Amino acid sequence: MIRVKVEKENGHFKKISILGHAMYDEYGKDIVCSAVSSIVTTTINGILTIDKNTITYLASSKGLTIRVLSNDRVTQLLLNNMIKLLKELELKYKENIEIK
Amino acid sequence: MEFLKLNIQFFAHKKGQSSTSNGRDSIGRRLGAKAADGEYITAGSIIYRQRGTKIFPGVNVKRGNDDTLYATVDGIVKFERKGRDKKQASVYPVSE
Repeated sequence: MIRVKVEKENGHFKKISILGHAMYDEYGKDIVCSAVSSIVTTTINGILTIDKNTITYLASSKGLTIRVLSNDRVTQLLLNNMIKLLKELELKYKENIEIK
Repeated sequence: MEFLKLNIQFFAHKKGQSSTSNGRDSIGRRLGAKAADGEYITAGSIIYRQRGTKIFPGVNVKRGNDDTLYATVDGIVKFERKGRDKKQASVYPVSE
């Protein structure tokens, strides 16, 4: 199961960690993992395209952690959109992704 | 900060960690000797559980349909040689 942990401060995203494996299917066929990977990568690269200094991320075999350095509106909106999409996934694939 | 490379299986169970179709085994059948050489046993007692005839039935011993050897009289168990390379189990009544 992929566990998404959202940390906020005064209503602003501060840190988002996305850890674990979807375990929906074998490597190469795991559509839930593919969806999560695409949503997260699109969001991170979108934010970095606009401003390279508003977030940092750390990718490892355990998963991915995003640290938010700025409360600017665009970054917050893009991250919020990411979480909303992951929550939609959670509705359909409860066994494979959990957002807290 | 570099752009994140798109790996659409980033959160997938890594290759080689997937489950195999092996991993099953039957429960041990507890075969082997159930009475020791020189031991006194009663008629009907099981001497040896086996698959096939590792040990052959000798004097006063019969073979069940699952190849189990059992005594047909009360007496002392004896494991003996049978020919060049075989073994047999016999039961000798204790003379009064």
